Amino acid sequence: MGDENDLFSVAMLIDELKNENVQLRLNSIRRLATIATALGPERTRTELVPFLTDSNDDEDECLLAIAEELANLIPKVGGPEHAHVLLAPLENLATVEETVVRDKAVAAACAVGEAMTSEGATTHYVPCVQRLANGDWFTARVSACGMFAVAYRKVADAGVRSDLRKTYAQLCADETPMTRRAAAQHLGAFAGEIEPEHVRGEIMTLFKQLTTDEQDSVRLLAVEDCAKLGKILPREECVADVVPVVKKFAADKSWRVRYMVAQQLYELCESIGADIAREELLPSYEQLLMDGEAEVRIASAGGVSSFCALVGAAAAGEKIIPRVKELASDGSQHVRAALASVIMGLAPTMGKDQTIEQLLPIFLTLLKDEFPEVRLNIIAKLDQVNHVIGVDLLSQELLPAIKDLAEDIHWRVRLAIIEYIPLLASQMGTSFLFQKSEADGGDQLNALCLQWLSDRVYSIREAAAVNLQKLAEVFGAEWAKTHIMPKVMELMANPHYLYRMSVIKTMTLLAGCVGQELCMTEILPALKAAAKDRVPNVRFSVAKAFGDIASALDRGVVEGEIKPILNELGGDADADVRFFAQQSIATCEAKA
Amino acid sequence: MSSDLDVMIETLRRCEVLKESEVKWLCGKAMEVLVEESNVQRIDSPVTICGDIHGQFYDLVELFKVGGDCPQTNYLFMGDFVDRGFYSVETFLLLLALKVRYPDRIYLIRGNHESRQITQVYGFYDECLRKYGSVNVWRYCTDIFDYLSLSALVDNRILCVHGGLSPTITSVDQIRTIDRKQEVPHDGAMCDLLWSGAFYTLVPIRPHPEDVTGWGLSPRGAGYLFGGDVCHQFNRTNGVDLIARAHQLVMEGYKWMFDEELVTVWSAPNYCYRCGNVAAILELDEHLEKNFKVFEAAPSESRGVPAKKAAPDYFL
Repeated sequence: MGDENDLFSVAMLIDELKNENVQLRLNSIRRLATIATALGPERTRTELVPFLTDSNDDEDECLLAIAEELANLIPKVGGPEHAHVLLAPLENLATVEETVVRDKAVAAACAVGEAMTSEGATTHYVPCVQRLANGDWFTARVSACGMFAVAYRKVADAGVRSDLRKTYAQLCADETPMTRRAAAQHLGAFAGEIEPEHVRGEIMTLFKQLTTDEQDSVRLLAVEDCAKLGKILPREECVADVVPVVKKFAADKSWRVRYMVAQQLYELCESIGADIAREELLPSYEQLLMDGEAEVRIASAGGVSSFCALVGAAAAGEKIIPRVKELASDGSQHVRAALASVIMGLAPTMGKDQTIEQLLPIFLTLLKDEFPEVRLNIIAKLDQVNHVIGVDLLSQELLPAIKDLAEDIHWRVRLAIIEYIPLLASQMGTSFLFQKSEADGGDQLNALCLQWLSDRVYSIREAAAVNLQKLAEVFGAEWAKTHIMPKVMELMANPHYLYRMSVIKTMTLLAGCVGQELCMTEILPALKAAAKDRVPNVRFSVAKAFGDIASALDRGVVEGEIKPILNELGGDADADVRFFAQQSIATCEAKA
Repeated sequence: MSSDLDVMIETLRRCEVLKESEVKWLCGKAMEVLVEESNVQRIDSPVTICGDIHGQFYDLVELFKVGGDCPQTNYLFMGDFVDRGFYSVETFLLLLALKVRYPDRIYLIRGNHESRQITQVYGFYDECLRKYGSVNVWRYCTDIFDYLSLSALVDNRILCVHGGLSPTITSVDQIRTIDRKQEVPHDGAMCDLLWSGAFYTLVPIRPHPEDVTGWGLSPRGAGYLFGGDVCHQFNRTNGVDLIARAHQLVMEGYKWMFDEELVTVWSAPNYCYRCGNVAAILELDEHLEKNFKVFEAAPSESRGVPAKKAAPDYFL
């Protein structure tokens, strides 16, 4: 029975492979492995795969799915000695116009190649690569570039290998930039498989040729090869052959190439070691930090602290810090924001004295930046500086900066600063954050935390409630009782229902962390009063709140104080109030 | 039922589509709720009044972030949920699911785009076809459109309607007598309520358009344009302080007119993803105090990534 059903369903799947509806065809393609299992290896090889080979003028969506699924058929065609049959459909797919299909086909073909025996690869995979590499249309040649590394790895014969290298050289000099780009892109991986003497000889020749390509899109892909070759080559050769290229690229006339260098430079420096990096590449990095193009400065500014850590405090202090000072007042806000997000990481490298002398002025400048994101990035990383110099030195500027952000007209900026407050509080303590202002004696930040609770924007009020809860968790019930509770209670008098609901939310959250006593004396009475509010929304908020705080209270209190109110709300005129009251009654009962 | 519905609401909040069978079920339930509502739906304050949304789902999420989630905040949406934006299906079904789940917390009235004819031209029809492979969902939704109320009256003081007034309507009672369960007609009272506009659309022609009085032809080919005197007369006759309406893009999100006897509220920021306008909602508290909340389009990080093909080789 079961078998018959299976056969029937497989027959249906096969039928639907030819269906006119794209969705049905796709569904079937996704089940190719199932179909192949049902057909068995022999019929998969002689019927299913040839059918797939012929279906290469389908929609791109289907072709993509076929390419993806073909890789899963490797175990279904009868093992490694038969894997080569899958190359036929993949070879077709590797030549189509759509890039994503080709990429998938190449990935699958590589997987097939990996699964093959060495002889199989020599007789089937390598010829397939060679055919594609000599294809008429550039799509075939582009695909071929991605398949060389596997071919080289699988085949040991010197003659075949030499042919592969020759063909790759041909692709590196292809007339279409698309092919040269693909060749540059895969050069690093290919080089990884090649014997050292040939890397030194032929591959480096190809590499140098690509680095002087007239197209910047080819050159910028060759930049990535620098880091990869840097890892393969012995250090001296890397210094002799790769480093000069990097230096040249760092001064390339195309900013896209320089941008790539800025992104890759640190990786290369790591592989050549700190000493040589300091000698050879530090000047290039300095140059990139002063680049005329903002994008390049953004990319290089992002690496400032890791670069300084690599070259050490002395070199960093002499060469990089002066540039960092310039970047802190860069004309582009995005450069400043990128710098602000990493600059605090310099403090551990530079040590206490240097940080105070050199970096502190920069921190302070950035804390006063006109662009909120710059200020936020500094505040977000404050902990890194706190470990080194303590935060007191920044306090003069820090509080006004926080205050400014707290009142920014964009609510997402306000939201971001609220979310940092608990972190700041736990690191710096109440005395710092809630210090009395010298002007009026009030503690400014506490006022802000409460002010957020009456913000015009709902999300800010929600975040403010969570913030107060977290502060209460950090500083304890006593602090909450004196500093938060009285003000929160006052806010219950707001004539607008949405603001009263935010207060109820706050009280609910606080109830969980201030202990039963405070719940009984402060929170419960306020909630009881709110249960009689004229607006139904406020009443169902109270009903919900009781369900949430029940777990923080004794059973006696729940039975004696909360249940009666919930029962009353359970008979409310408003359907939603009744619903939430009943839900909370169920919660209370589950607890009992 | 409420838990199935809660699951649907969560699905829709993530901007994921419901199954066709779920849409059918939801529309059946919505019909039961909406058929009970009057052409002039009575609403108690407090309530937050919103204008056109036009399938801009992520901007609707932004609206809820600023104004508060439903059911915490009470809402009235004055129509034009669908067309033009990328997510009309998710937008309308989310609002409809909330309506079914919390009928006393959210009210939806009909806009001129809640129509079979208009949605076939401006995107909702095509979107349904693309997302479901058939037009069944479009059919369920457009059938529900016929049941949407035509207007709302907050505390008997503020009349809310999608478009504006009609020369054939002098009293609110006349709206109550319309048989609304039909496709939006090409003319007449029901058409005018959904299509009419205030006179400021003629700005290029007249230096002080707000001084224009009486009735005029609408450049949209349906409904009329009306002036301050018409609005004032209507409000006095019906004991209404204010008409709140949507329908016309205002760059500032909201716009007072006619000595604050009429306000336009527009809730689709950067309309059609290109107009550069801000959006607004009108918060009425329990004392009918008015508070406009202006907001911008959702930042790109908080939007879902539309499925995009990789750029072909030769563009690089």
